[in-house]
Amino acid sequence: MGRYIIRRLLWTVLVVVLVTLLTFVIFFVMPKGDPALRFAGKSPTPELIQEVKESLGLDKSVPEQYGLFLERLVTGDEYGWPGLGKSFQTKQAVKPELVQRAQVTITLIIGGALLWLAIGIPVGVISALRRGSALDRISMGTALFFVSAPVFWLGLLSLYVFWKKLGWLPGTGYVSFGSDPGAWFSHMILPWMVLALLFAAIYARVVRGNMIDVMTEDYIRTARAKGLSERRIVLKHELRTGITPVITLLAIDLGVLVGGTIVTETVFNLQGLGNWLLVAAQNNDLPVTLAVTVLVAIAVSLFSLIADILYAILDPRVRYQ
Amino acid sequence: MRPRKKGTWALLGALVLAGSLGLAACGGDDSGDSDTDGGGDTAAAKGGIYRVGTTDFGFNGGFDPSGEYLGWAWGLYSNLLTRQLTGYRHTEGAAGSEVLPDLAEAIPEATDGGTTWTFKIKKGVKFAPPVNREVTSKDIAYAFERIGTGSVVAQYGFYYNDIVGMAEFKDGKAKTIAGITTPDDSTIVFKTTKPVGDFPFRLAMPATGPFPKEVAGCFTKAGEYGRYLIASGPYMIKGSDALDITSCKTMKPISGFNPTKQLSLVRNPNYDAATDSTERREALPDGFEFIINTNDKDIFDKIEAGEYEDSVDAVPPDVARRYSGDDALKDRLKGNQDDRTNYIYMNLAEAPFDDVNVRKAVNWIMDKDALRKAWGGPFYGEIATHIAPATLYPGSTALDGYDPYATENSAGDLAKAQEAMKASAYDTDKDGVCDADACKDVLFMNRSIDPYVKMTPIIRDALGKIGITVKVRELPTGPAYESSGVIANRIQAGSNAGWGKDYPDASTFMVLFDGRNILPTGNSGYALVGLTAAQAKEFKIDYPKGGVPSVDADIDKCSEEVGNARSDCWAALDKKLMEEVVPWVPYLHVNNTTLLGPAVTKWDYDQFSGEAAYAHVAVDPSKQK
Repeated sequence: MGRYIIRRLLWTVLVVVLVTLLTFVIFFVMPKGDPALRFAGKSPTPELIQEVKESLGLDKSVPEQYGLFLERLVTGDEYGWPGLGKSFQTKQAVKPELVQRAQVTITLIIGGALLWLAIGIPVGVISALRRGSALDRISMGTALFFVSAPVFWLGLLSLYVFWKKLGWLPGTGYVSFGSDPGAWFSHMILPWMVLALLFAAIYARVVRGNMIDVMTEDYIRTARAKGLSERRIVLKHELRTGITPVITLLAIDLGVLVGGTIVTETVFNLQGLGNWLLVAAQNNDLPVTLAVTVLVAIAVSLFSLIADILYAILDPRVRYQ
Repeated sequence: MRPRKKGTWALLGALVLAGSLGLAACGGDDSGDSDTDGGGDTAAAKGGIYRVGTTDFGFNGGFDPSGEYLGWAWGLYSNLLTRQLTGYRHTEGAAGSEVLPDLAEAIPEATDGGTTWTFKIKKGVKFAPPVNREVTSKDIAYAFERIGTGSVVAQYGFYYNDIVGMAEFKDGKAKTIAGITTPDDSTIVFKTTKPVGDFPFRLAMPATGPFPKEVAGCFTKAGEYGRYLIASGPYMIKGSDALDITSCKTMKPISGFNPTKQLSLVRNPNYDAATDSTERREALPDGFEFIINTNDKDIFDKIEAGEYEDSVDAVPPDVARRYSGDDALKDRLKGNQDDRTNYIYMNLAEAPFDDVNVRKAVNWIMDKDALRKAWGGPFYGEIATHIAPATLYPGSTALDGYDPYATENSAGDLAKAQEAMKASAYDTDKDGVCDADACKDVLFMNRSIDPYVKMTPIIRDALGKIGITVKVRELPTGPAYESSGVIANRIQAGSNAGWGKDYPDASTFMVLFDGRNILPTGNSGYALVGLTAAQAKEFKIDYPKGGVPSVDADIDKCSEEVGNARSDCWAALDKKLMEEVVPWVPYLHVNNTTLLGPAVTKWDYDQFSGEAAYAHVAVDPSKQK
């Protein structure tokens, strides 16, 4: 297992290199114009454009820029380690902003994940156990609704109802836990719910499907024939096997969401990584784009590794060399 | 042209409009109240915090006044933070376009044939904490040194190229700018290489300082000084007083400004209102908060709820429609002329637009009313009939009622368009429809965002009537501009463009038609008026057989004029461009649109910055949430 983990960690490094290389290629190949021109005013003499390029680090060849990026990532830059440079747009160091925004996004993801697991798994299990019943149909119909509903629509609707009309919740924005735990919680409830409803619906359908598959397995029939209680069969055998794929799903979702909660963050004015990545992409802000890309690549790789390890622990049939 | 914040609906707004909440898209006959008497009904008083939402600050120079070129940022500097030698009243219309002394005791008459300007600086104007000392002429001279320092990237430094010795300073051949002298702490003398009639306007731009060298001197890379800005106006960045200026190393960014979240301003304790006037700055609120809110719709919900006072972003059409239709609310909706023209450009070096008759036909056929409806209707601006808005020709009546391509309801005229097309070499059978290959698949640039995408079918339909088919390329705003500015891309026409003044003088529009300004990349005059055969060769493009008209001589002539003669001169050039050169179809003189919250008791529009006149706003804290 130890060697496996080391090998996977080395793969993570390779993934980061490949993903950043791809980001670089896309940035310079896509028809987005010269980013230097945006900061050079209306009569950009060649000298002024050169000054801007130097200030943005765009005065070197693309391979040189990439090499420099990797070097600074590993050895650090004037803003510390890892070296992520400064934003083209704000002229500020990327790293402190990345750390600050990562906290917001992780808060959103973890809270949302706890909620969607708490909703999705029980609903999936109950639907599987009551397959074909009215409860099953209502559950799955509701799940289909939330899977289909656009997140921005759910977000705006929830704001309209709970902030604008009822006044129960404070609306958009982020308050740090340290400054006011109560305000932090009240500001996060709606984003958590909106994020969770989509994923809870997906997870409920996945758990239901897996459970139904497991329920028809021979060993379940054997267990029942041996006289095990229904409760024990469900919890010990069906559920354990039924939710194992959910771990893989959860790991991938958590990793992807590190940079993928763009709409939720935008609607609720949570200035996290997703919204930052969107603005950076719109502004051709390469250092910010690369920083978030690196973080997402690492997150996806690490969560995937954790999922594989957990998978092996939960399912003895799976072992790694 | 300063880029502007307002003008298009944000991504989320577009999603909302398209979404199932059922909020109506723009169109129809929205007509906003554009008076500026304030949004509330209580007397304006000092106090409170004025809060403004925006989806993104959009600064392009890190908020360093030496390089920042965003109109809204200029409004913040000149209304609230910094005082230049000259300034404005920060009000709407002609009164707001008149240049006045600010730090200067008076605006002097130029001497030595219009090449020497001697300014006396007021006493008693002090920098905010922690600098706490009086502003001197040397602080202004230092601002010009920053403009001449390449690494600072002064984006509009070209306005000061006429100062004697600026070129030598930029090239590193001189340690000081020979044309700027400071005989004493309250006197500064500028010498220019030629008469510059609008020099007082240029001195009102924020890059001209003053900046305290003991702080700003530590930040000579593009955008760095923005987070250390030392105020000389009525407000300062919150936390400015805690800046440790013992040395460059001890300085940490001022806490009140985070470029991705918030800008908080508080009163500058060193500001002496006796050195200023309430005509220029009333400074009523105790502070300002400019807050980034990524949800455009939420910004307007918060204004409505009293959580914000106004926004930097444009009012979405559905909100404008709701407010304009409600007598109780319509006073809170403001639409003000922005001294900006949106236009369709035609590349004079590319067929079929190398034929003036084709360009005239395009002007005749275009349905400007439909284009304005795409923007949301009359609330969003006046239909443009000439190049620069009339406000940029103060004292001139030459353009009153001027519309050389007048059509019924501004909807275009097929008969007149065909008449023009018949005179073109590209209409060989003289049926009023272009039949040459040059009119097929014309490369047409547009932006990929609302409301520009709504204009595409209108333009396509109009041009189709005279035989021009277009191959439309839609890109996001930045890439569309940058792509259009690369001459080798040979964009034949486009509707992605808009242009606003830098200061209230038509010269800031006419630079677009100065052939000497044409650049291979980063070019702004997309029509290529004044392109020479030598330039075409250098840029590796074909030069039209009939040549390209030039107005360089007209520009030179008008540049030296002053007063009404100057306005008349520029107005005549505007007419010449519209009737003889015909590089554009100007279709909209854009409005700045604003929605005010219920707590706003006084509000005005700053004609200079094209944004709210923060120097004259007031708020009633009891109505804030």
